[in-house]
Amino acid sequence: MPVLEMRGIRKEFPGVVALDNVDLTLEAGDVHMLLGENGAGKSTLMKILGGAYTKDAGDIRLNGQLVDIDSPRAARDHGIRVIYQELNLVPHLSVAENIFLGELPMRWGGIVDWRTLHDRTSALLQDLGVTLEPRAPVGRLGLAQRQMVEIAKALAPASARAPAGKAGSAGASAGQAGDAAILVMDEPTSSLTSREVTQLFALIERLTARGVTIVYITHRLDEVFRIGRRITVMRDGRHVTTKPIDQVTVPELVRLMANRDLSEHFPKVRVERGAELVRVEGLGVRGVLSNISFSLHAGEVLGISGLLGAGRTELARVIAGADRFDEGRLLVDGQVTRFRNPADAIARGIGLLPEDRKAQGFVPGLTVARNIALPHGRRLATLGVLSRRCEDDMAAPIIGDLRVKATATQPLRLLSGGNQQKVVLAKWLAGAGRIFIFDEPTRGVDVGSKVEIYNLMNRLTARGAGIIMISSELPELLGMSDRVLVMHRGRIQAELAREDATEERVLSAALGLAS
Amino acid sequence: MIRARQFGTLIGLVLLCAALWILTPHFLTASNLINVVEQTSINAIVAVGMTFVILSAGIDLSVGSIVALAGVVLGTSLQSGHPMVLALTLALATGAACGIGNGALISWGGLPPFIVTLGTMSIARGAALLFTEGRPVSGFDASFRVLATGRVGFVPAPVIGMAIVYAAAHFVLTRTTFGRYVYAIGGNEEATRLSGVSVRFHKTMIYGVSGLMSAIAAVMLTARLNSAQPIAGINYELDAIAATVIGGTSLMGGDGSLGGTLVGALIMGVLRNGLNLLGVSSFLQQIVIGGVIVVAVLLDTVLKRKHRT
Repeated sequence: MPVLEMRGIRKEFPGVVALDNVDLTLEAGDVHMLLGENGAGKSTLMKILGGAYTKDAGDIRLNGQLVDIDSPRAARDHGIRVIYQELNLVPHLSVAENIFLGELPMRWGGIVDWRTLHDRTSALLQDLGVTLEPRAPVGRLGLAQRQMVEIAKALAPASARAPAGKAGSAGASAGQAGDAAILVMDEPTSSLTSREVTQLFALIERLTARGVTIVYITHRLDEVFRIGRRITVMRDGRHVTTKPIDQVTVPELVRLMANRDLSEHFPKVRVERGAELVRVEGLGVRGVLSNISFSLHAGEVLGISGLLGAGRTELARVIAGADRFDEGRLLVDGQVTRFRNPADAIARGIGLLPEDRKAQGFVPGLTVARNIALPHGRRLATLGVLSRRCEDDMAAPIIGDLRVKATATQPLRLLSGGNQQKVVLAKWLAGAGRIFIFDEPTRGVDVGSKVEIYNLMNRLTARGAGIIMISSELPELLGMSDRVLVMHRGRIQAELAREDATEERVLSAALGLAS
Repeated sequence: MIRARQFGTLIGLVLLCAALWILTPHFLTASNLINVVEQTSINAIVAVGMTFVILSAGIDLSVGSIVALAGVVLGTSLQSGHPMVLALTLALATGAACGIGNGALISWGGLPPFIVTLGTMSIARGAALLFTEGRPVSGFDASFRVLATGRVGFVPAPVIGMAIVYAAAHFVLTRTTFGRYVYAIGGNEEATRLSGVSVRFHKTMIYGVSGLMSAIAAVMLTARLNSAQPIAGINYELDAIAATVIGGTSLMGGDGSLGGTLVGALIMGVLRNGLNLLGVSSFLQQIVIGGVIVVAVLLDTVLKRKHRT
């Protein structure tokens, strides 16, 4: 009998179906690799299993019994433990305090029983074969060790609270990681060194030997074959396949993850390539980017692909003057340039559409017209006094052009995500920009608005602008780019011409496989 | 929506006045009303600077101490026989410099506004005490007192001063790039920076405005008391914050207006005046005013929450 069966799971968010009829089956002792592109629905599925989201439809069975997981607490009580991508530890507290946070052993109704806590922690860590000092503050540990603390926390017995007095002996037995049945890890190695990865894998082996079933989400295919026993591939919120590891090959996996019906239509218009606008030579930012070289020409859309954390957004911010670089050169119109701040970049005609539009793209309380006018204050004002007419005159045609469904005087926070994104675009179109950096321009945007944004890109290139488009949506990237750069761990892994760029080739490069 | 919110505060002010009119016959007389506005003027002017700062998602705790320091600079300068124009210029420059110092530490030093202005609050107060050896400064020319006692028709000079300050500040806030950046920085600092606005420069100037407003208030206070006191302006920061917040400006920044702040300052002034007329003890007054602040902000929060959902 399978340990876990998820059947027909469905989850909708406003405007998107994140999961559509997804199945997942775990056998006892499985190390199950959950694979798929960004946005395939892996994390959403695991959040449903962990009780962080509630499903809209479908069944979950544990050991054949139908269960209702409606909260993280319920998931824990059923022996399901999830370690999310971002670690959730309190740096100033000790290893022991972090592991038993919320369930600190007490005596006399409120005094922390430190001896029991430390005994219990030592027992648990020993049980897991991890060497860590229970009293060490987590903030001083390395990333791999923190990962171990997170795992120990996930595996700590759900109700460790022993009655006061029996502290010593109860501590040892309660310290065993007995009641965790399923452990989910979401990209646990994304920030670990190879030695740390080896430590983690040894721990995973010890856990499976004791009957813990593991779900492991990763983008690193080498890991899949090192520790995986079975794989499940997801794509666009659907289940694609589940197979034993010895029945798949690397190329097959890549094809399974990438392959899709290209039903979306991209209105790409190709324009003759013009002069070189931007040239980057050996650009590096310590710890983030290294040896990045490429050029952007007028009339061209340069697509940049890569997985999360590959350095795409960091590259965009450096070119837009938002962050500094440590090595290499940046040339704009053939001139060596060093931007001190975004204002310098804007003066040279560079506009950035940031990835996180809520945090970086617009001012929610200001009106549509005022947001659009924000980068152009100096041009719209005489001796610092703004002319409202000039602002409205600037905004009106662009609002119409982009079909923003709002009036110029509405505060931006009242608009839908797609319309907000159009306003952020409009901000840059209103100026004399020639170099545009669009970081995830269609994220969270409805289909109709997407097409309008694509058309707008065509118009920009037609008038001689160059566009750098960063996108995690491969069809869009391939559909709209003239060339594609693929980044992997802060480097450019591949440069592909439009004709040569296929989903499989881009994805292989993004995974660091080919060049 | 912002307008509707201000309207609500205004209704509160009108209701308060109506209640006092019923409770005491002395309240709704021309002389008393003018008196209320005159007494409100100093807090109202300090609150202008505070509104700029809070709109930009900051806070300025040093305003009261800057009032004292600018006041003793003015007083000492007048006492030693400098021309009035020079004395006024020195006082205003002192206030603006303190504010710009605050702003520079906050934007270039990357320190939290709370900490920086808390430090300045103590430093400026200490400087004022040191400068005067803790004694009040007095003995000014009669021409200086006109700033407090003068009238145009029946309107006292401080009220005229307040009106000019509000008109100018409102213009700056609504019609200039600087004013626009105040809202933009408070609403989303990173988006503003990425739009090519020099956030550091403008933040520095915002605190400069606050310091300047404190200095203007210091001039009016010194004229009214006919002496400059190093212990003047204690708790002014709290009154200014209260007026701003009662006036509907969000402590999170990016949302609010000077009209609201003026109404907020008037509510506090009317309340104090009314409680005095009713013979309420000054101890009880503090409790009532504290309660009004909390209730006003509570109402605001509840109304906004309703609006969102």
